[in-house]
Amino acid sequence: MSAVGKLRDRFPRGPETRPLPALAASGQLGYGIPEPALKAGLEREPDFIGCDMGSIDPGPHYLGSGQIATSDIMTRRDLGLVLRGARALDVPLLLGTAGCAGARPHLDTTLDMIRAIATEEGLHFRLAAIGADIPADTVKAARRENRLRPLGQMAMPSDEEIDGSTNLVAQMGTEAFRRALDTEADVIIAGRACDTAIFTAVPEMLGFPLGPATHMAKIIECTSICCTPGGRDAMLGTLEGDSFLIESMNPARHATPMSVAAHALYEQADPYKVHEPEGTLHLDDVVYDAVDEHRVRVHGARWEQAAQLSVKLEGAIPVGERGMVLAGAADPRFIAAVDEITEAVEKTGRELLGETLGGDFQLFFRVYGRDGVVPWPDPPAEPPREVFVMVECIAPTADQVKTVLACCKQYLLHHGFPGRLSTAGNIAFPFTPPEVLAGPAYRFSLYHVMQVDALAPLFPIQVEEL
Amino acid sequence: MKLTDAATVIRSKNARPLQITIDLMFEDQARFDLARQSPSLSPANLAGLYGLQQGSVQVLPFPQALAIKLVFDRRTVAGDPGDRDVYGTQQHGPLLGVEL
Repeated sequence: MSAVGKLRDRFPRGPETRPLPALAASGQLGYGIPEPALKAGLEREPDFIGCDMGSIDPGPHYLGSGQIATSDIMTRRDLGLVLRGARALDVPLLLGTAGCAGARPHLDTTLDMIRAIATEEGLHFRLAAIGADIPADTVKAARRENRLRPLGQMAMPSDEEIDGSTNLVAQMGTEAFRRALDTEADVIIAGRACDTAIFTAVPEMLGFPLGPATHMAKIIECTSICCTPGGRDAMLGTLEGDSFLIESMNPARHATPMSVAAHALYEQADPYKVHEPEGTLHLDDVVYDAVDEHRVRVHGARWEQAAQLSVKLEGAIPVGERGMVLAGAADPRFIAAVDEITEAVEKTGRELLGETLGGDFQLFFRVYGRDGVVPWPDPPAEPPREVFVMVECIAPTADQVKTVLACCKQYLLHHGFPGRLSTAGNIAFPFTPPEVLAGPAYRFSLYHVMQVDALAPLFPIQVEEL
Repeated sequence: MKLTDAATVIRSKNARPLQITIDLMFEDQARFDLARQSPSLSPANLAGLYGLQQGSVQVLPFPQALAIKLVFDRRTVAGDPGDRDVYGTQQHGPLLGVEL
């Protein structure tokens, strides 16, 4: 019998049977799961194990390029840990947003790793993979039919931008994981998925109320970040029906009413509402009670089913090749005049390169020590003693990037400005060549909500026996 | 009192790729109340501090966690050419000199 079949049998009366312990093994699998806490969590015999692999925080590069964000070696190590753990307990393992961005290349890379681990370790199980890629034609049709809504300051994409995006994905919700559980899969690996969906599918299947289940999912998907001190150790959430209990598997990390309440703020613009494809989680009336100094019991979250199904779309499109010059300066006269100098260098560069390259490049002079990080409205009270200057270029080809950077580097080094003392060179290079090519650059082309009539056709499932 | 003395956490992060959210957390009710009532943390003052248009900063008290959340749109979508902070984790700097 499958792991999910056994789980159903253990809950003959649904939520009335007993509480449901769920282990969140990792908030971003592939960066190194702390092993002692995972082991402690497995010893608690959870009814299922969930891991998130994804995030949009690292920006558009991973979605655009199809590369996974974590290293192959560490990703294999982490996958091995959770696969062995779940198979030893014979409980379902659910993994969300394969390879950080959850498009087909990320899913395929992760699937290959899972197959290799299963072969090497003699593990046998049914594996379900859920795709999250959305065909460009589906997105274009949604735009034509006014079912596509931009979020925030995003513009409505043109057909060219939709077609030119290397990967387009939608965030799947609980529905897709539920269908995957129905295939009797022991291990489920999803493309782009809502973090919460990884942890709500099993409770929903067993009939637990969705308010507390979704709230628990929202907290434990980040593992021990909700604790004080926060960390990346495995987290156990025990769903009791209308309430749930949370506990870090590292005894040094304590869940307190304050630390868990504060987690509702994390990466959220609105701490009282969480939007999911199937509905909205309301947190206005939530109460956090300390059970002891290490554990918190939570109740009061409310689930509102959506009248209209929708999914969030993410797309990334190439913007060219990127490269940079890395240099520093310790001359107060250069630092005081840096804006005039970089403006003059850019002007010279554009004049020189205009004909050769057609002028089709972007340049960014970033002055660290001054405003490389924050666009401060005012200059600093005291000028910095040193600054770091990064000249970034984005152009259609790597050769063009190199040409622009080499030119800018040389003119920045030797630009003459009024009052200059250091006539042998304006900048210091920590190494040469100071021009570094960074490969293709991307931007988000889509961060939109698409209304749909049904979720299932968007997220196809493939099942295989290992 | 300086905000850095009153708050135990001053953290900045993307709220999705389109917004920056900054959480200010306080150890006790008195400091939270002081911050919540301070004109230094008014939307107008914060917009000035960040060089943003008036009306573009939201200030959301979250009493359950003795916290105040600030939210504003990013100048560039995260990771767009010209972005300075893809994760949005270092945008709290202008707050560090605030007197409550």
